[in-house]
Amino acid sequence: MEILQQPDASQQSGIAAIELTPDLVRKRRGQLRIIFDRFVRNRAAVAGAIVLSIIILMAIFAPIITHQTATYDPANTIPDHPKPSDLLAGPSWAHPMGTDELGRDFFARMLFGAQVSLLVGFSSMLVAIVIGASLGAIAGYYGGWIDNVLMRVVDAMLALPYLLLLFVLSIIFSNGTVGTVVLIIAILAWPATARIVRGEFLALKHQEFLMATRTLGAGDLRLILRHILPNAAGPIIVNATLLVGLNIINESVLSFFGFGLTPPQSSWGVLLGQSQTFFNAAPRMLYLPGFAILITVLCFNLIGDGLRDALDPHLTLR
Amino acid sequence: MRRYVIRRLIQAVFILFLLSIGLFALIHAIPGGPERVFLSPHQTEAARKAIIHNLGLDQPLPIQYWNWLKSALHGDFGTSFTDNQSVASDIFARFPATMELFVASLSFALVVSIIFGVVAAVRQYSITDYTLTILSYLGISLPVFWFALILQTIFGVQLRVLPVFGQSSPVTTGFNAFDHIQDYAVHLILPAIVLSILFIAGWSRYLRSSMLDTVKQDYVRTARAKGLSSRVIFFRHALRNALIPFITVVAIDFGGIASGAVITETVFAWPGIGYLFYDALNDRDYPILMAMLLLAAAFVIMFNLIADILYGVVDPRIRYS
Amino acid sequence: MAPILEVKGLKTQFRTRDGTIKAVNGVSFDLDEGETIGIVGESGSGKSVTSLSILRLLPTPPAEIVEGEVLFEDKDLTELDERDLRKIRGGKISMIFQDPMSSLNPVMRIGQQLLEPINLHLGLKGDVAYRRAVELLRAVGIPDPERRIRGYPHEFSGGMRQRVMIAIAIAANPKLLIADEPTTALDVTVQAQILDLIGQLRKELHTSVILITHDLGVVAGIADRILVMYAGHIVERAPTDELFANPRHPYTLGLLASVPRLDDVGVNELQTIPGAPPDMLNPPAGCPFQPRCPFAIEKCKTFPPDVTVGREHKSACWVDVTAPAEIERAKQRGFIPLRPVGGSFIGETQRSVQ
Repeated sequence: MEILQQPDASQQSGIAAIELTPDLVRKRRGQLRIIFDRFVRNRAAVAGAIVLSIIILMAIFAPIITHQTATYDPANTIPDHPKPSDLLAGPSWAHPMGTDELGRDFFARMLFGAQVSLLVGFSSMLVAIVIGASLGAIAGYYGGWIDNVLMRVVDAMLALPYLLLLFVLSIIFSNGTVGTVVLIIAILAWPATARIVRGEFLALKHQEFLMATRTLGAGDLRLILRHILPNAAGPIIVNATLLVGLNIINESVLSFFGFGLTPPQSSWGVLLGQSQTFFNAAPRMLYLPGFAILITVLCFNLIGDGLRDALDPHLTLR
Repeated sequence: MRRYVIRRLIQAVFILFLLSIGLFALIHAIPGGPERVFLSPHQTEAARKAIIHNLGLDQPLPIQYWNWLKSALHGDFGTSFTDNQSVASDIFARFPATMELFVASLSFALVVSIIFGVVAAVRQYSITDYTLTILSYLGISLPVFWFALILQTIFGVQLRVLPVFGQSSPVTTGFNAFDHIQDYAVHLILPAIVLSILFIAGWSRYLRSSMLDTVKQDYVRTARAKGLSSRVIFFRHALRNALIPFITVVAIDFGGIASGAVITETVFAWPGIGYLFYDALNDRDYPILMAMLLLAAAFVIMFNLIADILYGVVDPRIRYS
Repeated sequence: MAPILEVKGLKTQFRTRDGTIKAVNGVSFDLDEGETIGIVGESGSGKSVTSLSILRLLPTPPAEIVEGEVLFEDKDLTELDERDLRKIRGGKISMIFQDPMSSLNPVMRIGQQLLEPINLHLGLKGDVAYRRAVELLRAVGIPDPERRIRGYPHEFSGGMRQRVMIAIAIAANPKLLIADEPTTALDVTVQAQILDLIGQLRKELHTSVILITHDLGVVAGIADRILVMYAGHIVERAPTDELFANPRHPYTLGLLASVPRLDDVGVNELQTIPGAPPDMLNPPAGCPFQPRCPFAIEKCKTFPPDVTVGREHKSACWVDVTAPAEIERAKQRGFIPLRPVGGSFIGETQRSVQ
């Protein structure tokens, strides 16, 4: 039996009911601020964010950095009449990471490789998230047999050996272009997202504010998109961040073994694959792209975990 | 408890069933259709006709599916394109090597992750903890194949202390039994370590957070209030409770046996089913590929089931309710 | 008779990211042999932290006993070596907690958990220890103890689990039993049974008891003396009957007023104490209750001393709440007197019948 009752704020100020005042709007913006503050306190996550931004910027401005023009493509720019000493040359001022077996600047190839790797990572994440979130939302919101069927499919897909399927699908459907690789990776990635989103929807759909909104005449789609989804956004964003890292690794595995992207596309994975032949002469062709993958994926993991901690409702805002 | 196990068994069978349909659909979705899967390009026209008839590829789909399923359940997955042996025997022959690799790396990973996880939890926020956390983050961000190549380079090529290919040396004349064992063991080291990295990274993080959660529990406070020593509290109350959900994580990860080793085996030319899979990929040897997919999936499902059952056995709350 | 426990000026604090929480701010009290005292207060008053500080059961990175002594058997428990402290924990001083479900290890049998203190503090092993465990279960009222001793916590009801906790606590015949909100998580009828059990056991074993609760009704029946805590301080202390008959601190008045009574005829609404407890990160300099106190005066900005207002009855307040002038002033601030203040609250001395 509680001896003391705390009178709430509305009672004290005399407001009988809770209105949608600017106070509440400010509260949500305040919540974002709190999340941001919590994220910023995680130094590793911030470091990851900074490094990742640098990498992304370098990838975007790759042509400008390397050759001051917007249409430079190192894969196709083979120097005419190279001298033997130009091939597989070590690091120098002109070529900070040396050259490859055809005399192309390796640093440029790395930067353009970043473009492709990041592009594949992000696109496949987007496709997977869109598919996974939609299906998960439907399953969680409508429940019943829809949920049952969808979740059995998700379970079955999650039971499949991810890597093996990736390979098999690649040899069947892939033609070495970015598009097919993105689709293949995405097709295998959506079940995990679907499960997360479905869980969130199941939890959220019973909240009372939804009943209130529904009585105001809101339809299902509106409810899903404008009311539930924003609240479920947290775990989705975390999942998306970690997914990019995972996809980058998967693409590089595929491309390294020759089943993913093929030249003239040049992701880091492709670079690694090509490094095998010339390994003895230029081991940096092995170390550098792999290291780049490691750092990039590490950044995504740090950011993803940082977001997860920042959004965790258990670390309550006092 | 029994009801629980039966329910999970039924679910598992159902999922396998769904999977088989999915696989079957995949076979038919391939450009070139099932003929590409079942018919080797090297066969004569007559032989092809015979096989088409035998497999009922000229029959309606549901019958095809049924035939296929029947033979699969009998262990007949067809014949490999490359060596004309039955797929089942090919897989069978290579399975022990993968098993060896898996058991070795899993054992290693278990020991290391328990130590890492527990140390990190006990010395939370210390330098040791931070170092271990960094290492595990690196571990899960690492492209495994690249790490394998790096290790090969460092230990095999540059330092020349460990062999980097195969399960045993090519030349073994004059080896006695002990030399053979040593040879096998030495060849096992690098692949096992590479395979274990991912496990260690994930497991030690899991165990660390599980330990941290456990230590905060009220019953640990009760144990302290009883005057028990730190060691007793740690092992009998905290660690034991933290290991219970950990067991299921390990069991589930063990289910990845069929697929997990592909990269590692390929890079180290380890003669297991992973390497078999890789060769089959390059040769477009579909019978082997399909059989591997089904086998791998069956393993995952089986070990998920084992994980669930184990959890029920070990946690008395489920066992006795 | 010398007291078995003397707490002197205990100050316990928690270092957090946002600052230092001063949970216990100078708590002093004595406990005699065989005596039962109740520590009453709301959440955040520091009562639990006080009890956990006695046995140093608080996690020491954030928590820290910054000042004070806890004297037991001529030793200061706050300075004691960990190894010696462990001999006392569960042996001479034992503790039971609020939620018996989470306080028992869910994957260990009851018997095993009961055997731990028996092995450790009584040095008994094997069959002898086992039989003692069974007897303990019987003593706390668990039916069919030979069979139930092999059970797991989730197979017991809430009340039964708390009985098991009590059995574990008395296993080594402690001199002092600290019960931190032992009945809060239980149904009302079960509450009474557990309190009776504690009362009965302390008589048989001559154990002193510190009972911590937010519920005045709980202590009314079982405690010899009551300490009222607020914001980390003891604001009033008195023998039980005296406290109910003659409450003197405005906070105590508030507490008593908010307890509904069966014979409340004509008293309309449930009274509450307006406002909220102070922020323990920055507790105010003066009396912590001042912002909510209808009797507050200017002087309350300095910390009030313990004023003796009766036999063994002290109240930390500048104001005499029985003076008619003060009552008038307080009435204008919304205070509704218990009927009547200064007279008998319950009428005659009466044990609560919950």
